[in-house]
Amino acid sequence: MSPGLDAARPDAGAAGQDEAEAARQLRDKIAAQFGRSLHIRTLDTGSCAVCEQEIRLLSAPHYDLHRLGFFLTPAPRHADLLLVTGPMVRAFEVAARKAYEAMPGPKVVVATGACALGGVYQPDPFVHGQVGAVLPVDVWIPGCPPSPLALLHGLSVAVGRLAEKTPGLTFVADGDGGGA
Amino acid sequence: MPLWFARGLRRGVVTTRYPARPDGSAASLPTPPAFRPRKLTRELVDRMIAVCPGPALRRRDDMLIFDAGACTACGRCAQAAPLAVRPSGEFELATTTRSALVKTIPILGDMR
Repeated sequence: MSPGLDAARPDAGAAGQDEAEAARQLRDKIAAQFGRSLHIRTLDTGSCAVCEQEIRLLSAPHYDLHRLGFFLTPAPRHADLLLVTGPMVRAFEVAARKAYEAMPGPKVVVATGACALGGVYQPDPFVHGQVGAVLPVDVWIPGCPPSPLALLHGLSVAVGRLAEKTPGLTFVADGDGGGA
Repeated sequence: MPLWFARGLRRGVVTTRYPARPDGSAASLPTPPAFRPRKLTRELVDRMIAVCPGPALRRRDDMLIFDAGACTACGRCAQAAPLAVRPSGEFELATTTRSALVKTIPILGDMR
């Protein structure tokens, strides 16, 4: 288990302790089961297709995600991980739920790109604005689009091979003090 | 190809992990901004919030609240305030906690 996934959740209060512990145990289980091979189903919920472009590049020789034991599969029945892009258009809600329910457990949902994280569209009659409104998201990968490197890092975080860096970042420029 | 095959046979490993080595293309990726608190003023931050196309920037009194998850790294805030903002260079931002992407940055420019 990577140290990053064990890091205390900053948003979890005393009441959330049991839940955080349960989440940690589930992640341990997922890391044990998906440690060597993981099948990914991509799901476009209304993205502009640039995230798909970057996902497609993962199979290219330069990034070569197959070397890490990750495989893209066309069927949710064969998938361990749902890589969701787009702002979750309301017309796609039923299909998204069906794809999620068709996957065998344990399963991981990864929200990919700024749209999926709620950074581009606000909720309105046409879009939910973020994937989390419909599916239980386990890992968030920011970026517009997330580069293939960011996606590889995100997938590695999802299976517990790499530690996440985000909790340690401040987005304060070096040499300016100020703290954060 | 024969070279790779021979190398694989010699080392017993034919694949590499991620990251195998620093990637040269990473330096040219657009990345979310990093802020300089001493150069930030309330007025400047409000101007940055106005040019931000998404909900990535917010202000609560003397705090700039930056949601790196909502940031598209468009660079408009850096254009509006070139002295206070520069690219952070961070792109491996995947997290298992959504709130970990929301950062609070103090606004210290008004204090002098």
